[in-house]
Amino acid sequence: MTATCLCGGVRIEIAGKLGPVVYCHCTRCQKANGSAFAANADVRAKYWTMAQGAELVREYESSTGVFRAFCGTCGSPLYSRRAATPDVFRVRLGILDADPERRALAHFWVGDKARWFDIADALPQFALGTDEHAQEIMDMTTAAMAKKSS
Amino acid sequence: MTTGRCLCGAVRYELTGTPIGMYHCHCSQCRHANGASFATNVIASAEDLKIVAGKDVLAAYESSPSKQRFFCSRCGSPIYSHAQATAAIVSVRAGTLDDDPGFRPNAHIHAASRAPWTEICDGLPQNAEGF
Repeated sequence: MTATCLCGGVRIEIAGKLGPVVYCHCTRCQKANGSAFAANADVRAKYWTMAQGAELVREYESSTGVFRAFCGTCGSPLYSRRAATPDVFRVRLGILDADPERRALAHFWVGDKARWFDIADALPQFALGTDEHAQEIMDMTTAAMAKKSS
Repeated sequence: MTTGRCLCGAVRYELTGTPIGMYHCHCSQCRHANGASFATNVIASAEDLKIVAGKDVLAAYESSPSKQRFFCSRCGSPIYSHAQATAAIVSVRAGTLDDDPGFRPNAHIHAASRAPWTEICDGLPQNAEGF
């Protein structure tokens, strides 16, 4: 599967499955994406290839050790990465060129949600982020896998 | 008056007046430009949007002929777009608003192009294509 920025200058190849898809409503994601919320999924570094345009990618350190990457030509938000977890890239789903065949697990940071946006779907909602709710993510993922295989 | 800014705070704007509309756009260009499931745009008179800081770091990308998408070159936040064909209006990216603007999205456009992982569950009108 490929992911490209709007101008096509940056192309990322993802050779394996995405991790859980999460909707993040934190104010940083709202600002960084200019949107109601971000749709993000972790990708292991071993599945991740910067196939084109590495020289176009710019990074902004939005909190200590957290880098948000975007295309310097067109501005598309691409992914974030953490210095502490160099084996993971958190891709922005909007840049995917095909169906990731993953559906969102839940909404996070709903306490920071944009006031102009109402969540209308039935997915679980969590007040805090994916770090704080890591156990719930694990449980939901396990349950989803069990459902799929049954 | 409503204010907005990019993630790093270098670009700041003021939005005055009553917006013409606010909608969720599911087109592929908006999804790629925002890296998101869909964009939410506030349509306002061009004269009602004032960039009050960071004009020097505001970069533009021409995504269609004579249509420019402006973003912060420092942090990447998409800020607004402007097209010559509709020169009187701007389309401001709602995620950059600082506070509750007091108005709400009233439609989905390009709903037929929505991301495969997106389900539209609210009761807002849906246009398969643009306006």
